[in-house]
Amino acid sequence: MSILIKKPYSRRDVLRGVVGGVPVAVALPLLDFFLTDSGEALASGAPLPVRFGTWFWSMGHTPGHAVAERADKLEFLEECQALTRHVQHLNYFGQFNSPLDGRPNHVHHSGWVTTRTATAPILPGDIPEPTIDVLVADAIGGRTRFRSIDMTCTGNPRDSFTARSTHSKNAGEVSPAALYTRLFGPGYADPNAAEFKPDTDLMLQQSVLSGISEQRQRFEKRLGAADKARLDEYFTSVRQLENQLVLEQQKPVSADACHLPQKPADGPVGLEIPVAQANHDAMAKILVMALACDQTRVFNMAFNNALSSLRRPGTAYTHHTLTHEEAVDQTRGYQPEAFWFNCRVMESLAVFVDEFAKVREGKGTLLDNTLIFAHAETSYAKLHAVDNIPVFMIGRAGGRLKTGKHIVGHGDPISRVGLTAMQVMGLPVEKWGTGSLQTAKTITEVLV
Amino acid sequence: MSDRARSVRSRLGRGAVPVAAAACLLAGIAAAVSQVPAPRAAPRTPQTLAFVVANWDNAIYQTRFMDECPDGPTIGNDELWWRGLSRADKDKLTDKGLVQPVDRRFISVLRGPKGEDVCWNPTVVQDPPLRTVKGKTAYGFNLDGKIDGGATPKSCPHQDFTGVDGTPGVDNQMYRLLGCTYGWRRNGVLDTFGNEERRNSGRGVVLIEISGIVDLQNSPDVQVAFYRAADPFQIDAAGRILPYASYRVDANNGKARYGAVTRGRIEKGVLTTQAIDAKLPFYGNSAYAEIGLRDMHVQLNLTPTADGKVNGLVGGYYDFDKWWEYMLKIEFLIATGDWSCPALYTAAKQLADGYPDPKTGECTAISSAFRIDALPAFAIHTTGPAARDLKASR
Amino acid sequence: MTARALRLAPLAALALLGLAACGTAEPPTSGGAPTVRRLTESQYRNIIVDVFGSQIVVAGRFDPIVRTDGLLAVGASRATITPSGVERFAQLARSIAEQVVAPGNRELLLPCTPAAAAAPDDACARQFLSQAGRYLFRRKLADDEVATLVKLAAAGAQARGDFYAGLSYPLQSLLAAPDFLFVSENAEPNPDSPKLRRLDGYSKAARLSFLLWNSSPDETLLAAAESGTLATEDGLETQVERMMSSPRFQAGTRAFFTDMLGLDDFTTLEKDSLLYPAFSLAASDDSREQLLRTLVDELLTRDGDYRDLFTTRRTFMSSPLGMVYRVPVSQPGAWAPYEFPESDTRAGIHTLLSFVALHSHPGKSSPTLRGKAIRELLLCQKVPDPPSTVNFDQFNDPKSPNKTARNRLKAHSVDPACAGCHKLMDPIGLALEHFDGAGQTRFTENGEPIDPSGDLNGIAFTDAVGLGAAMRQDPAATSCVVRRAYSYAAARPVERGERDWITHLEQEFADDGFRFRQLIKRIALSDALYAVGRPAVQTAANERPVARM
Repeated sequence: MSILIKKPYSRRDVLRGVVGGVPVAVALPLLDFFLTDSGEALASGAPLPVRFGTWFWSMGHTPGHAVAERADKLEFLEECQALTRHVQHLNYFGQFNSPLDGRPNHVHHSGWVTTRTATAPILPGDIPEPTIDVLVADAIGGRTRFRSIDMTCTGNPRDSFTARSTHSKNAGEVSPAALYTRLFGPGYADPNAAEFKPDTDLMLQQSVLSGISEQRQRFEKRLGAADKARLDEYFTSVRQLENQLVLEQQKPVSADACHLPQKPADGPVGLEIPVAQANHDAMAKILVMALACDQTRVFNMAFNNALSSLRRPGTAYTHHTLTHEEAVDQTRGYQPEAFWFNCRVMESLAVFVDEFAKVREGKGTLLDNTLIFAHAETSYAKLHAVDNIPVFMIGRAGGRLKTGKHIVGHGDPISRVGLTAMQVMGLPVEKWGTGSLQTAKTITEVLV
Repeated sequence: MSDRARSVRSRLGRGAVPVAAAACLLAGIAAAVSQVPAPRAAPRTPQTLAFVVANWDNAIYQTRFMDECPDGPTIGNDELWWRGLSRADKDKLTDKGLVQPVDRRFISVLRGPKGEDVCWNPTVVQDPPLRTVKGKTAYGFNLDGKIDGGATPKSCPHQDFTGVDGTPGVDNQMYRLLGCTYGWRRNGVLDTFGNEERRNSGRGVVLIEISGIVDLQNSPDVQVAFYRAADPFQIDAAGRILPYASYRVDANNGKARYGAVTRGRIEKGVLTTQAIDAKLPFYGNSAYAEIGLRDMHVQLNLTPTADGKVNGLVGGYYDFDKWWEYMLKIEFLIATGDWSCPALYTAAKQLADGYPDPKTGECTAISSAFRIDALPAFAIHTTGPAARDLKASR
Repeated sequence: MTARALRLAPLAALALLGLAACGTAEPPTSGGAPTVRRLTESQYRNIIVDVFGSQIVVAGRFDPIVRTDGLLAVGASRATITPSGVERFAQLARSIAEQVVAPGNRELLLPCTPAAAAAPDDACARQFLSQAGRYLFRRKLADDEVATLVKLAAAGAQARGDFYAGLSYPLQSLLAAPDFLFVSENAEPNPDSPKLRRLDGYSKAARLSFLLWNSSPDETLLAAAESGTLATEDGLETQVERMMSSPRFQAGTRAFFTDMLGLDDFTTLEKDSLLYPAFSLAASDDSREQLLRTLVDELLTRDGDYRDLFTTRRTFMSSPLGMVYRVPVSQPGAWAPYEFPESDTRAGIHTLLSFVALHSHPGKSSPTLRGKAIRELLLCQKVPDPPSTVNFDQFNDPKSPNKTARNRLKAHSVDPACAGCHKLMDPIGLALEHFDGAGQTRFTENGEPIDPSGDLNGIAFTDAVGLGAAMRQDPAATSCVVRRAYSYAAARPVERGERDWITHLEQEFADDGFRFRQLIKRIALSDALYAVGRPAVQTAANERPVARM
């Protein structure tokens, strides 16, 4: 079969038209393939999509100075003061544990892996199961131009906490300018534009990709099982990009909240606190518009790297080294410098939420139609503790989530939080995790 | 890199000679910085140290309430010009007061009787006398060897200062001349801009090379050389000059184009040189100039300050004509610097105290002193022509 | 085998070492599995330059490859491509293809001119695509593959009304194809060995070219693979000789050491500009280049002893580096050879910025990181990860009298939970304490003199130079480069069934006077590198095989 004409959704008719020299501005009919479970979602006036994202920070909290221990009421202390303005829009999950079943605690790694995959890694650096965002994106990411938008504020694309497997880590965007170009540069179709003209070039691009997909069998026939699995991922990725191109050829559904954000200037990237904060804030502004304009429904933001190398200009110690090497101030009862960094991190989380709250969408805000799963990799960095890792669920997920609650886990596996988040996002998942982290217990207190 | 640049570079490569006593440079500087030489780095043979001059300022001794200027600061050209205008001219220039900012830059100096530029013709008008320093204390050196200000074969009668450290007989008529002019006082626009421009343009870079150091604290006899660098300053992202950069000595066929070589001694970590006549390159305030100093004395404290710089004082008789040439080149700053050319010229002529003209008896140089600070650097001597390859080194 | 070993050894060495040392036959191995490895960023870039010329701009980022068993080359055999990675590769493919067919380049790169610029020309498209495809896929394209590409070119030309615009689509297809992005190896029966199979000609050619040039095979090598001459001893030797005498062997050597010494970390190296103003971006770039120049000079130009890397005083200096090292640069603005004086604190690559600055924190030195790097990168010894219960209370108290890192790190040796591992790292890391976080020389810390003495496996030293001398004597250093080089060439860890071969290779390396060039040559000419064992039991993507040395 021709490279050009293939697959149920590969626009056979249109492309045949291309080959035959027929004008190519043929409106593409909506394809069932893209409407798996919510055909009406694309119709005008339909319910707004619910978005899912993660916000990662490392070094946890300063015990006793971040969140008040009382469970009846969610109350923030000095370190989380900035979040007080959002207290009615979020839940805090404390006292959930990460049982490792005898596997080693790979410091600053095991904690986030258990929280995101519900499986303890065996080896350092391993990501044994897909991270929660990847699972959510598998379910809802295929309907938008970008399956997921991944960002990191450290300047290093490797500082990313989203992966399908150890060797398949999604690299984070590090520069607001590059993020802008990727989302709103060439290929972006304004959903509110009066006219829409599908691009010949996009169809040809799609042919390029479907040509590649066709090589799958030929290429894979000689491979062993492991290599086949790897290549499967690649070919799945190609298929996803094909879908993205198909979507770009359709007239986008109008979105009231959508407007083109301001293009950020090229600035420095790096780990100095002011630089990381500036990039975080700039990327957050672009991200909320990418969501409002329905370019993606899944996102990942990493504020710092797992071994937080954030630092203040002119100082020798990084955030991470401070958590270990700074002496505890006996009067205050904590490490003052490390605490200072933790406060800045929580401020940035609050700013991130601000951006969601600013976007009016339907009768509420973008925040009401989003679930942000924010967490750290440890509870108390000084001790590398993986029990009681702080987790926030921020936003109302399209009204599916009750907020303003402090949920105490009493030592239950932390996977309960992730399982609940996935269920809120509509994933048909009953149980999640491996070993002691496996759970089927939803946290019903937060469900509407 | 262009072919030409490459050929220049390779020529340089063949011509390069090892830096004098390079083996000990690191050790010496490390010792200078940390004061604790490790056994491996202990100096054994005489060392060479070089510095690149970062800032070059008139050494102005000033008190908080400007006590040294009892008559007040100098009256600037603009004020004199404005005072001299008729009511009608003022009305015309300001449209009867409706125009507030008057662009006086290129007209305020044209106040000679026939509209002459009074800087280029400083004697065509007589301005009120320049307000000069009346204080007793100044930075500088005793250049003529006398402490009573009397004439010597190489100096005209003048008033001596007492040094800031109590040294009697300090000669610094330049300070007397400029010390009450805002633009020349500390952090005034003229030296500040000059330094900044040198840093950014990389022009007029002065190197000081001290060789034969046996001990940074005490070395009875060292050689001190002053050169112009053929390479611009190496600066960091924030615009600060970086230490330990290498600069080629600007030379022509092996002979340094600028500079002077003298001898000196180090006592308690302070270098003092023997007097020497020197011409040094200078660039600042968009003007190339040449500093011509006779009997140049240099004192440099070799113990770096917290910012890694060494500080010192340069003094000598500044050639009047070379100095006035610079004043003319920076005429456009007369409003911000706030002086009057005729008053300055007349006072300078009166205050000049060095090297009387054998025929007229009029002194042709002004005693002066400059504060400098400098960063550790490496002076690279090449036998071939030191090609000025700004692009490659930036 | 013996005959080849004899040919390999230079005559002078023969005379010196005697025949016995040179004539040992290569021991049999169990063979390894063929690999499927993702092109690294540098390989991708090199190929584009090789195939289309350096005027083509490759602007983009690549998905990271996870360092596995000490090498990115091994990680590449496990790497896949994520959705965003595919997006980026597709963008790159597009940008490259558009540049190739743009006026100015098309005249150079296309072997033909279309009959009409605004219409399809299958013959011309076929000619170009089969040629470009052969270089990109590292093999001859099948007829149906070419036909498909030509069809896409025609469709594109028709839709866009431009032959060249049309041609960019099949070219994109080639550049985003798995055959290009993954180097997939195939085995064939080995007529000389009933038990083992061997890599086929194309796979062998790819291994050779990525090992020696860090790029894909050139025309001559492909031709040798196709004609079957590469399968013969003579044919292989001819190619290896040819490739190693090419200046491109330098690129291959640089790529190997970039991988082995973790120099990819330079891309994200940050130093505090207030504390270390001289450590500019230019200095950071140049310090990586300095190490590579030093390696090429010592190992290739001088054909020196690998062990001398730990003691050599020779290196190269640039203007930005001169300010960090605080040494004169004889040719400001250019690279110039430089030799650290006898009295200096530096000798050996472990004292260069690329080591001491890279393995430090942004604002301070780290004896632990440096010690770990020496153990892991230069000696191939694994240092266990820190325990999660680590307690640094004693390590840093601002009011502490412990002014130097040595004093502070005493906590490690006192606390039994730390001592086990830190005794591997700290004593050798402390030897480098004369270099601060940016690698600048210092003799005191907080006003107190620094003591850089220590011992490596029982050999006492007084400072970093002494540490280098101790490393020079350490058999782990030479055995490390042997294993890494072989593992890099094969893009997989050394297998259990290859132990004898590695021991043999180590012996040959010693007999060759630890000449790196000879080591690579022996690997490239070995049977082991191309031997394929019984159909490998494939492990899951995440699982690391345990049968390893």
